Amino acid sequence: MQSFISAKNLSKSYGDTLALDDVSFQVYPNEIVGFIGPDGSGKSTLFQILTTLLIPDSGSATIAGFDTGRDFPKIRSSIGYMPGRFSLYPDLSVEENLRFFANIFGSSIEENYEMIKGVYTLLAPFAKRKAGALSGGMKQKLALCCALIHKPLVLFLDEPTTGVDAVSRTEFWDNLVQIRDGGIPIVVSTPYMDEATRCDRVAMIYGGKIMQMDTPEYIIANYQGSLLAIRTQERYLAKQLLSQIKGIDSVFTFGDAIHISLPERTEPIIDEIDAVLQRELSSTYSITEILPNFEDCFLQFMRQKSHE
Amino acid sequence: MKNLMVFVRKEMLHILRDPKSLLIMILLPLVEILLFGFVLRFEINSANIAVYDMAKQTKSIQLVQRLEGGKRFQVIVANSMPEAEAMLLSGEVKAILTIGADFDQKAVAKMESPLQLLLDASDPNLASTLNTYLSATINDFWTENYPQNHLPIITELSQNGDPTPTSPSRHLATSLTIEPMLYYNPLLKSVYATIPGLISVVLMLICALMTSISLTREKETGTMNVLLISPLNPLQIIIGKLLPYLLVSMLNVAIILTLAFTVFGMPLAGSFTMLILVSLLYCLCALALGFLISTKAKTQQLAMMVSLAGLMLPTTLLSGMIYPIQNMPTWLQNITLAIPARWYVSILKHIMIKGSPIAAYGMDIFVLIFITGIIIALSLKSFKIRFR
Amino acid sequence: MNDAIISANKLTRIFGNFTAVDGISFEVYKGEVFGFLGANGAGKTTAMRILCGLLSPSSGSASVCGYDVYRQSEQIKMNIGYMSQRFSLFDDLSVWDNISFYAGIYQMTSAQIKQAGTKILHELELDTYKRRLVGSLPLGWKQKLAFAIAIIHRPQLVFLDEPTGGVDPITRRAFWDMIYQAAAEGITVFVTTHYLDEAEYCDRISIMVKGKIGALGTPKELKAAYHTDSIYNVILSLARGDES
Repeated sequence: MQSFISAKNLSKSYGDTLALDDVSFQVYPNEIVGFIGPDGSGKSTLFQILTTLLIPDSGSATIAGFDTGRDFPKIRSSIGYMPGRFSLYPDLSVEENLRFFANIFGSSIEENYEMIKGVYTLLAPFAKRKAGALSGGMKQKLALCCALIHKPLVLFLDEPTTGVDAVSRTEFWDNLVQIRDGGIPIVVSTPYMDEATRCDRVAMIYGGKIMQMDTPEYIIANYQGSLLAIRTQERYLAKQLLSQIKGIDSVFTFGDAIHISLPERTEPIIDEIDAVLQRELSSTYSITEILPNFEDCFLQFMRQKSHE
Repeated sequence: MKNLMVFVRKEMLHILRDPKSLLIMILLPLVEILLFGFVLRFEINSANIAVYDMAKQTKSIQLVQRLEGGKRFQVIVANSMPEAEAMLLSGEVKAILTIGADFDQKAVAKMESPLQLLLDASDPNLASTLNTYLSATINDFWTENYPQNHLPIITELSQNGDPTPTSPSRHLATSLTIEPMLYYNPLLKSVYATIPGLISVVLMLICALMTSISLTREKETGTMNVLLISPLNPLQIIIGKLLPYLLVSMLNVAIILTLAFTVFGMPLAGSFTMLILVSLLYCLCALALGFLISTKAKTQQLAMMVSLAGLMLPTTLLSGMIYPIQNMPTWLQNITLAIPARWYVSILKHIMIKGSPIAAYGMDIFVLIFITGIIIALSLKSFKIRFR
Repeated sequence: MNDAIISANKLTRIFGNFTAVDGISFEVYKGEVFGFLGANGAGKTTAMRILCGLLSPSSGSASVCGYDVYRQSEQIKMNIGYMSQRFSLFDDLSVWDNISFYAGIYQMTSAQIKQAGTKILHELELDTYKRRLVGSLPLGWKQKLAFAIAIIHRPQLVFLDEPTGGVDPITRRAFWDMIYQAAAEGITVFVTTHYLDEAEYCDRISIMVKGKIGALGTPKELKAAYHTDSIYNVILSLARGDES
C-alpha cells in the first residue's frame, strides 16, 4: 500500500539535548497511528515537524507527497491540527470558535457539518456558551471539531487526552474511530499507555527514538518472557521482598497487583516466590500467570533501552 | 480577502467580549491626558515676585501697580535689597525686580539699567517663563508710556536661590528675542506646547500595548500554532490584527482631540481632515510597533513591559514634548529622527497651532510614512512562521 | 488509628448559580493514602482548594489537621504540604534554591534546611545536581523533587494534585514508592489522579460526580459494590447512572 505520510531519518536537537534521534516511519491511509511515550520523549517535536512548524536538523518527511519543509503552504491548508492544550479562544462561543476555524480555511460549518456531526451533537446544546466555560471533556470535543471542520486530509492530535477524565477519554477514542472510518488517517500522541490498544498501530517513543512500531496486538504477543501477577493486601512489603529474589527481570506495581517479569516460566523460581511470600506475608495472596498489557511491554522496552 | 475579513471579525469579537479592557483602553488615555495636561504645565499661575522700588516715583509706582494687576503672579513689595534677597533665598519669591532710584529720569534720558530682574534659576523653566512674562508686561507698560524708547532690562539668573551670581552675566534682554515664540502662542500658554506631545505619547502607548498584548495572548493560549497551520499568511495576520485596533485607536483619537479642544482650549488653525489622516497614520505606526514587539516577546507580561517601558521614555523625552530637540547634543538629535512621535508632534503643531500649509509639514508626513513602512516590513520579517 | 485528619460535613461551595461542591461529607484518616477521583469539572479542584485553606466554603463545615477551614486557614497552611503537576517548582532557580526557598516559607532554621535538603538530594540521587537549574531536569526528576520539597517540613498531611501527569511509567511507579514511604512515615496523603491504576494504590478512594461524592470506600469495596473488576467500570457506571 502507498504510504500517506513518510518520515525518513528525522533528527532534531535543542542545544545539547537530542529531542528526536533518527526517526523513520510510515503512516498509511485509513489508520490511527499512536505515538506513545512520556513527556519529553520527543512526541511534540515530531508533531511540530510533521505539521511544518519546525524544520528538522536532518532527515525529511512528506505528507500526501508534499515535503514538510518546501511545500509547507500546501500542507498547512490541508491538514487538521489539535495542539496539546486545546487551543481555543476562551472568550468566543462554541459556535464562533468553530465558525472561525472553518472560515480561515475558506470553508463553512454548513458545508462540512457531516464531518463533525458525530462529535458536535453532544456540543450543540452549548453552542452559545463561551469556550472558556466548558468542562475539559467538552473543550476537547470542540477542539477536535475545530480541527476537523475544514475537511482535512489527515488529523494530527498532539496529546488530545492529557488531563481529561477516563470516561471522556473513552468517548473521545470512539470519536476517533468514527473519523478514521470516514476516511481520514489520524496521527495521535499520548502519554496514556492504556490508549495504545485503541490505535491500529503504535510507536513506542522514548528518549527521542522509536523503540518499536507495530500493531498493539503484535507488540503484546511478542512480549519477551513470562508475566506473573501477585495480589496481596501488603503490596508495599511484597514488592520489597520480590525485588530481592534473583532471576526476576522486573517488579512493578500495576493497579491492585504486582507484575513480575520472568525471563521464562520455570517452576523453581515460582516456588521460590511462593515460599518467600508464604514466609513473610501475614495475609492471603495469589499468584497467577497473566498476559501482558501494553504498559508491561513499554516497561520492558524502557528497561532494555536503559540496559543498552 | 475573505480570510482577512474573517480574521478581522474574530478580533472585533475579542474586543467587544472584553468590555473591561476596552474601557481601560478608552479611559486610560482620557485620564492620562487630563492628569498630564494639568500637571505638565510650564506656565505659572501663581508665582510670587518681590519688587524693590528704590525710586518710588510716579512712573515706578505705576509700573508696580501694573505688575500687581497681572493675573500670573503676586507681587510682594520689599523695602530693602537684603529683605528681597532673603525672600528669594527662602523660595518665597522666584524673582526680584529692582527699580533704580532714578527710574523716571534715566528712562526719559534713554539711559541704561533703570530696571534689574533677578531670577531664581533653580527651576530653569519657571525662570525663563517668568522672565518672559515680566519682560512682556514691562514691555507693554513701556511702549504705552515711552513709545519711542528702547527698554533696557538687566536680567540675572541665580542658581538655587543664591542671589549673588558667580559670574554676573549682565546682558540686555530685549523683547525682540522673544518675539517669534509669542507669535504663535501670544498668551504663552504652555498647554499648546504640551498637548501635542501628550497626544503622541498616549496614542503610542495605547496602540502598541493593544496589538502586542493581543498577539502574545495567542502565543500563550497556543492558538497561534493553529493559526500558523492554516492558509492564513503573515500579512493577513498582521492586517487582521491591526485593522480592528486601528478602529479603537481612532476612537481614542476622537476622545483625546475633543479633550484637547474643549478642556484645554487648543486651537485648530489648520485642516481637520489632515489632522485625522495624520493621526490615523501615527496610530498605524504605533500599532505596527506593538506587532513588532510581540513577534519578539513570548509572554503577554514581557510584551507589556517592553511596550510601556521601552516606548514611554523615548516618546516622552525624545519627541520634543518636554525638552526642545535643538537643545540636545547632535548624536541625540540624530536618534530623535527615528522617533515617530517627533514627526507627529511637529505635524500636530503645524496643523493645530500654526495652521501652516501642507507644504510646511509634507516632509514630516513623508518621514512618518517611511518609518511606518519600515516597522511593518520588520514585523513581517521577524514574524516567525515556524519555531526554531 | 482511625483519627480523622480531614473531616468535612455538608461542605458546599457555590459560584454564582453554579454549585461546584454540593454538600459533601467525608473523613480522611491519619496515615492513609486517600485517592480523590472524579471527572473534570466534578468539583475536585474546588473541594481541594477549600481543604487547603485557599477558598472559603459557602456553607457546611470542615476541619483539616484539627483547624477550621473558615477561621484558621493560616494554621492549616502551616500543617499541610501541597504539590501540583501544573505548578510546583521554579524552573529558573537551582535545585538547592528551590529547596531552601520552600523550606524557608515554613520557617525552618538554616541548620534544619541544610539537613533536610541534603537528605532529599541524597535520596533522589541529585547530589551532583544541587546547583543545576530545575528547568533543565527531566520531568520525572522534577516531579519527584517537587514531592520531596512538598513534605520537607514534615507536614501532617500532603495534597497531591495530579502529581504524575505525563510522567513515564517507571518514574510513575517510583513516585508512588515515595508516596508509600511518606505514608509509612506517618504523613497522610490526599491525591488526585487520572490514571486509574493509581487509584488502586490508594487505601481508600472517593469518586466525585457533579459536586457530590458518588462513591467512597476501598478499591476492593467499590469494585465489589459495582460488581466489576476495574475502577474504570465503577466510574463509568457512576457517570452513566448520573446521566439517566
